[in-house]
Amino acid sequence: MIKQLLGAMALAVGFSGVANVQAQGRDSVSIVGSSTVYPFATVVAERFGRSTSFKAPKIESTGSGGGLKLFCKGVGAGTPDITNSSRRIKKSEYDDCQSNGVTDVIEVLIGYDGIAIANSRRAPQLAISLKDLYLALAKDIPDADGQLIPNPHQSWNDINPALPATKIEVMGPPPTSGTRDAFAELALGGGAKSIPALKTLSGFDSSQEQEIKSAMEQLGIPVSVYQAYVESKGKKPKGKDIFKTVAYSVREDGAYIEAGENDNLIVQKLEANPNALGIFGFSFLDENGDKVQGSVIDGVEPSFDTIADGDYPVSRPLYFYIKSAHVGRIPGIQEYAMEFASAKAMSEDGYLPEKGLIPLSKEELAQVQADVKSLKRLEM
Amino acid sequence: MAGGGLGSLNSLPKHYGYMAALWAGLPAFFLFLAWLALEGHYIQSMVVGSLPAEIQAMSDDEIGLYYNQLVGYAQGSVDRSMLNEDQIAAANNYQQLVAKGQAMKFLLVGSLAVLGGMLATIRVSPELRARNHVENIFKWILFSCSFIAVLTTLGIVLSVLFEAIRFFQVITISDFLLGLQWSPQMAIRADQVGASGSFGFVPLLVGTLLISFVAMFIAVPIGLMSAIYLSEYASRRFRAITKPVLEILAGVPTVVYGFFAALTVAPFIRDLGESLGLTVASESALAAGLVMGIMIIPFVMSLSDDIISAVPDSMREASLGMGATMNETIRKVLMPAALPGIVGGILLAVSRAIGETMIVVMAAGLSAKLTVNPLEAVTTITVQIVTLLVGDQEFDSPKTLAAFALGLVLFFVTLSLNVIALYVVRKYREQYD
Amino acid sequence: MTKDRFKNTALIQASLKKRYARERRFQMYGKLAVLAGFVFLFVLLFDIVSKGTPAFTQQHISIAVNIDVDALGVSSTASQDEISKADFSSLIKSSLREMFPDVKSRGDKRQLYRLVSIGAEYDLRDKVLADPTLLGKKQDIWMLAHSQAASYLKGQITRVIPEAERKVKNQQMDWLDRLREQGRTKSSFNTTFFTYGDSREPELAGIRAALQGSLFTLMVTFALAFPIGVFAAVYLEEFAPRNRLTDLIEININNLAAVPSIVFGLLGLAVFINFFELPRSAPLVGGIVLSLMTLPTIIITSRAAIQAVSPSIREAALGVGASKLQTVFHHVLPVAMPGILTGSIIGMAQALGESAPLLMIGMVAFIMDVPGGVTDSSTVLPVQIYLWADSPERGFTEKTSAAIMVLMGFLILMNALAIILRKRFELK
Repeated sequence: MIKQLLGAMALAVGFSGVANVQAQGRDSVSIVGSSTVYPFATVVAERFGRSTSFKAPKIESTGSGGGLKLFCKGVGAGTPDITNSSRRIKKSEYDDCQSNGVTDVIEVLIGYDGIAIANSRRAPQLAISLKDLYLALAKDIPDADGQLIPNPHQSWNDINPALPATKIEVMGPPPTSGTRDAFAELALGGGAKSIPALKTLSGFDSSQEQEIKSAMEQLGIPVSVYQAYVESKGKKPKGKDIFKTVAYSVREDGAYIEAGENDNLIVQKLEANPNALGIFGFSFLDENGDKVQGSVIDGVEPSFDTIADGDYPVSRPLYFYIKSAHVGRIPGIQEYAMEFASAKAMSEDGYLPEKGLIPLSKEELAQVQADVKSLKRLEM
Repeated sequence: MAGGGLGSLNSLPKHYGYMAALWAGLPAFFLFLAWLALEGHYIQSMVVGSLPAEIQAMSDDEIGLYYNQLVGYAQGSVDRSMLNEDQIAAANNYQQLVAKGQAMKFLLVGSLAVLGGMLATIRVSPELRARNHVENIFKWILFSCSFIAVLTTLGIVLSVLFEAIRFFQVITISDFLLGLQWSPQMAIRADQVGASGSFGFVPLLVGTLLISFVAMFIAVPIGLMSAIYLSEYASRRFRAITKPVLEILAGVPTVVYGFFAALTVAPFIRDLGESLGLTVASESALAAGLVMGIMIIPFVMSLSDDIISAVPDSMREASLGMGATMNETIRKVLMPAALPGIVGGILLAVSRAIGETMIVVMAAGLSAKLTVNPLEAVTTITVQIVTLLVGDQEFDSPKTLAAFALGLVLFFVTLSLNVIALYVVRKYREQYD
Repeated sequence: MTKDRFKNTALIQASLKKRYARERRFQMYGKLAVLAGFVFLFVLLFDIVSKGTPAFTQQHISIAVNIDVDALGVSSTASQDEISKADFSSLIKSSLREMFPDVKSRGDKRQLYRLVSIGAEYDLRDKVLADPTLLGKKQDIWMLAHSQAASYLKGQITRVIPEAERKVKNQQMDWLDRLREQGRTKSSFNTTFFTYGDSREPELAGIRAALQGSLFTLMVTFALAFPIGVFAAVYLEEFAPRNRLTDLIEININNLAAVPSIVFGLLGLAVFINFFELPRSAPLVGGIVLSLMTLPTIIITSRAAIQAVSPSIREAALGVGASKLQTVFHHVLPVAMPGILTGSIIGMAQALGESAPLLMIGMVAFIMDVPGGVTDSSTVLPVQIYLWADSPERGFTEKTSAAIMVLMGFLILMNALAIILRKRFELK
């Protein structure tokens, strides 16, 4: 009997001696955000982990919008320290951050990226204009009378006889992605401006209510759109706001295929389907230059130089954002940012341009380095 | 205990020991678990309580960060240079508290064990029915272990149902179940123009069924014919070797099938289709379904094998004795007898196909197209659950809640298939038992 | 009458041929079905083994490096700290330029630098850290080749493919040929694959972190599922009274066995992560979720094993006055143990290969560090396979297949163990 009793007691005492499994302090940087910045961020994280005594950051790819949403959720060890973004933070997101106590945000510009409209190398290279893209992918487009109708185009040569007679099939990212935002703004918005009625509409100020409404009537946009804006925002829209709701809406009838956050997957799908086009960051085009080719847009081919010069019409800056409140609290945040902004990584011969990032100019780089060092707060 | 010898005891001596051990061990174990659950919070509030007032004035989140940092320092992962004097003091305080807690835990758990043991020892007397006592406690332990299954089901139903109800507050059930359009990627900010956010479930259901149908089209004939051949024709030796080899297919992880489907089968089918002049999507339902079918072959095979073997030999012999060939015996005698069981088995296989995730995540599409053409890309319920939830942890938009609504549907569909199948199989078994 | 009988016999005789032909056809269908199963298995395994085998070798290039203190920007008596911060990357680049002095343009230089892996600079740094006397010496150093260069050295990419369609360009091939002629290339067993964690560079990527994550996850799963499963089986087989509650439990277990694994992931996300606030991406949560998933398998097989124990053993024990509990724990369980273990191993194998529920609880992320405990962020082998399968670099295709081979190796090992146990059990 004594044997069993002693055994149980020994077991109990043994249990109590077990070290705690309680929540440990988080000691590695947590990063979320854009899938376009993901390949750059992981490369930096890997080098950072290997070359310093800090732990390598953990990186989840959630899309720019999804990342900023998580980032702005609040301050604390359970929220990410850094979010990558393939577009600048929007005012609405900045306000969201502010109201959740994320008051100090540091913006780091890391370089530029073009949005490539690419297809498989097995198909001929496409030369296309922004207007063609708008007519192919917008949800509603003007018909011959200038009235907006649901997009009727089924194949590319419906839009422009010079284009091939293949079905319109474009794979692109979902709304959580910054690439999608930038594409809607630069390509669809850019293309829509080449249609006079829409361009006029976008020029009106909020005080020109009458003009906006009559332009809307001409285009066949229901007045309810105007009312809905007033209701949700509590102020009168500018012509540009109405223009955005019309021009930035992407087709939902299967011509635009939401292929998920994963740009690699889009590349693989393009390789398998030579008739399809894909929308993704230039770095993926650069990485997969043996499988896919970028289309010529408004006469400019996407390349390192055309994007850096600003000739290529669909290019955008890439950023990441740091939560100031976490700097110094979670080890390694500022050091990681310094590594990112170092000449070793970001200068023309650095390892990031080797991965397809279009580098900043010397002056911009110096400015970014100074900002990271001083943890300059972003004001909007 | 002296005097009467062992014979005067109600139970064997060691049962008194077991009893004492249970009395000592169980309460101590529960105390230990409770301690584990509460210690972290307690230490945090103690440490935070001793911090200077200006730090305590910070928001809870910031205090959490502050605390996280000093814990990191105390555990040796944060460098000293990052901390100020207050934090180092607090970190030392933390370390002391942890050490104290450790000692307290050791002492408390230990003394509770000793106390329990002593109480039990005091109660020990020759008349005590120690064995029954021990056995009752054990029965309760055993019962609670098997009750975990019920708790799991309850947990699944509640967690999925709870979020699904929140979803149905935004999207009506009829819109969900009868809607013909699925584009859940709605705008995530006020000033963004996203998809309209329609949550029609029909395209997903059709896609899921299409892929499952292709899978069954492969798995049922091959699995069933293999089972018939192995149980009725093949020699014992051949069967002994063949069956385990084919069952390897069932043990291959689904992620491997997914890789195989996405990188080998899908491009192959596409090229094959192209050469025949067909347009095949790069993520055709055919590729995912075919590979899923391969995965399910052994499942169908062993279920049908069990059922065919269960048909009494007397029926076989009677038919063969009448001069029927084996083929006729199988088709006219065995099959009708085994049919309900085989149907049940196929239903189980369908439920597996519907719930399969990795193959379709890697090899099927994301766009919800309402089509029954296996050469086109479709999406499935499980693919959408994964796409909606991976990466996004927000629980306030219909987008993420929709995943739970889908989970609920998936759970009930597979559950009812399973219940029907088991019912059919059991009913059939009774005929011959 | 007799005439009719003859007629019948003739009829039967005539139909026999047809019937036998049908019989033969039917048998052939059966053989074809079995054959189809074999063909599928063979194609699957062949596809993976042929894709994965090259990943088990790695390529090194020997570069003459002058470990110059000035180039590194350190003093000749540099401290460890100073060395670890030195710029080994530009040292390697300048060494490469010295070996190929004819390379001048920026683009060509970039191609030249792409011959060696980025891991080379850290290897070199560690080498100098371990032996600071190397400072100031000129030495040939074996460096890990870049994955693209390695694919040429392994012969996976040849000049037959048009230059535009491959990543290794002609001049890189010329340089590599030159190095090969000078005996400056070597191929060896890929130890990196087994000793490193995930990486963005295929040649540096390894499965160590994922393996360790799998190990921790399985440990948690086994610690929970095995005792609970066996106890539940014992209760249901030996103690449970025939009542509604028992029926409820039994129905539940049978149904849980058929619930899709992804639903368990939803449970884990909603209950353990959002409600109990356990850490995301941790083997602890993964293990709990997988243990719930494997529990039905373990319970069902354990029950079968307990059922199979001959009643005579029970009766004998009960007859000599043993209690029910004694009978079960002293006599029934030891006999049933091999069967129970077989079932548990099969359940564990299932858990090892599972990935869908783990996607739900955040075990899919870029994690380089090898996890040190059950609460560290980590991933598991099948999820690592999933992540690599999505990576664009061609080098990852072979890594994915190689990781699959390792995973399948473990599964085969576990199943073999289960079969051996079952065989021994059957002999008894």
